Amino acid sequence: MNYLVAFNWGWIAGAAALGFATGWVSPISRVRSLSRMALRITFVAIVALLAASFWRVLPGRAGYWLDLGLVMFGAYLAGCVAGAWLRYVLLLRPGLPRGEEG
Amino acid sequence: MSEFSNWVRKWWPGLIPLAALWVAAAWTGTVPMEQQLTARTAAALKESVLDKTQIEVSGRDVQLSADAFSEQGRSTAVDQVASVPGVRQVLDQTQLIAEVLPYVWSIKRDVVHVTLGGNAPLPAIKVRLLDAARGAANGAEIVDEMSLARGAPARFDAAALLLIDQVSKLKEGTISLANTKVTLEGSARELGGREAIAAALKNLPEGYTVEKNALYAPPYLFQVNKDPVASTLTLSGYVPDNATHAAIVAAIGRKFVGEKIEDKLKASAGAPQGFLAAATLALSGLSRLSTGTLTIQDRNIKLAGDVLYTGASTRIGEDLAAKLPQGWQQKAELTVKPVAAPVNATICQQLLTELLAKGTIWFETGKATIDPDSAGLLDRLIETVLRCPASQIEISGHTDSDGDKDANLALSSRRAQAVADYFIKAGIPKERITAIGLGSERPVASNDTDEGKARNRRIEFLVR
Repeated sequence: MNYLVAFNWGWIAGAAALGFATGWVSPISRVRSLSRMALRITFVAIVALLAASFWRVLPGRAGYWLDLGLVMFGAYLAGCVAGAWLRYVLLLRPGLPRGEEG
Repeated sequence: MSEFSNWVRKWWPGLIPLAALWVAAAWTGTVPMEQQLTARTAAALKESVLDKTQIEVSGRDVQLSADAFSEQGRSTAVDQVASVPGVRQVLDQTQLIAEVLPYVWSIKRDVVHVTLGGNAPLPAIKVRLLDAARGAANGAEIVDEMSLARGAPARFDAAALLLIDQVSKLKEGTISLANTKVTLEGSARELGGREAIAAALKNLPEGYTVEKNALYAPPYLFQVNKDPVASTLTLSGYVPDNATHAAIVAAIGRKFVGEKIEDKLKASAGAPQGFLAAATLALSGLSRLSTGTLTIQDRNIKLAGDVLYTGASTRIGEDLAAKLPQGWQQKAELTVKPVAAPVNATICQQLLTELLAKGTIWFETGKATIDPDSAGLLDRLIETVLRCPASQIEISGHTDSDGDKDANLALSSRRAQAVADYFIKAGIPKERITAIGLGSERPVASNDTDEGKARNRRIEFLVR
């Protein structure tokens, strides 16, 4: 895992940055929200993929790509959380003067 | 919190570029990463003793195919690959090389090749054996037909290296090893090569034995040519050592009369058993020839030439056959020298005196038995006597002054008679010969010195 992160750190950082941007804009985004069901399906799919990765179900390159995808997805999620949280802290917290985006 | 949950539900649009990012990462990074892992795996296996190693990396999974030489070596190699940073799992395709019994190895030499065949236990040993063969082959092309196999006996490499060293002494042939048994076949490059190899094989590691040594060496040749015109004896070929060389030269000194010796003998091992005895015996035969050649090849004696008078050839052949060492063979191709022109009594006397000046008739100490070494001189004397058939020959025996006078007289008389009997047996008519003993009455030198005494102990011929 360390090797995978070390070898692909640029891409993972990119995924995190993408996540950060997505998280940052998500409070003011006007895109359609995922349904609760879609969210659950996504969650189950991720858990299934994690299990497949943990048990090394996929061989060779497919296994590597799965691991890489999961790591990048993790970085993306972390970026999203960080972006959303930072926006909340900096701009949206109650008691702060209202920002321009309303 | 529900506000956060609303935000999360709006995180999905980023997944589309994330997927693109992921594809790009996989597209560009997979092959370089596999190459890096291949290099790291190869480096990790550098110290491992494996053959036909193949590393195939797919993603982060390494498939290791190799031939291992022990169970431990095999598991160690797999562990080493598994511990390479970045490797997810190892697909173990290694296998142990076959174990063979009997463990056979061979080195074969022909005119242009040195071929190593059979089995070697490890690649490193194989390389060492090939290097050693290159050193011992004197420029011959090395052909490697060895395969790797388990089951080599202890100290196999030391034994094989010793055997490779022997190849330089071979002209052609095969040295093979089956477990700890060594077999040699073929022919040695030089005389004595067989013995040199046999001696070297005494240093084989403990437990190794020579099962069969069927090496041939070039024939052991010893040749003496007697040329009566130049009065020269030419010695060529080989003698086993310097002591034998000296013994042969000494024997020639006693048996031959006045010939110069041209000595081209070389010392070499590989002489057949009983060489000195056989050579000495054959030289006795040659000493009785007018002209001739003695050839000893391995255990075969060939004597060819001219005897000095009719009847000598049978006796020479018989003497040779009777005293030959066991396992030896002889062949005498003898003709009789044409009888020389008759001479008168004066010249006959002169010729006899000349011969006795060059050589001495030897007797056993204190006895009247003629030493066989004198046969050559006696034959020449007989030949001369046959040239003056009308003359009477008086054979007189003389002694030095040591000892009892009467005994000396009797001894000299018996010795003269022994010579007379020898002449009669050779075909000189009995009526022509008289034998007398004169004891120490007529010295020709002082009896005060050993040298003088030796000159006084003699046989003289008087032609009338």
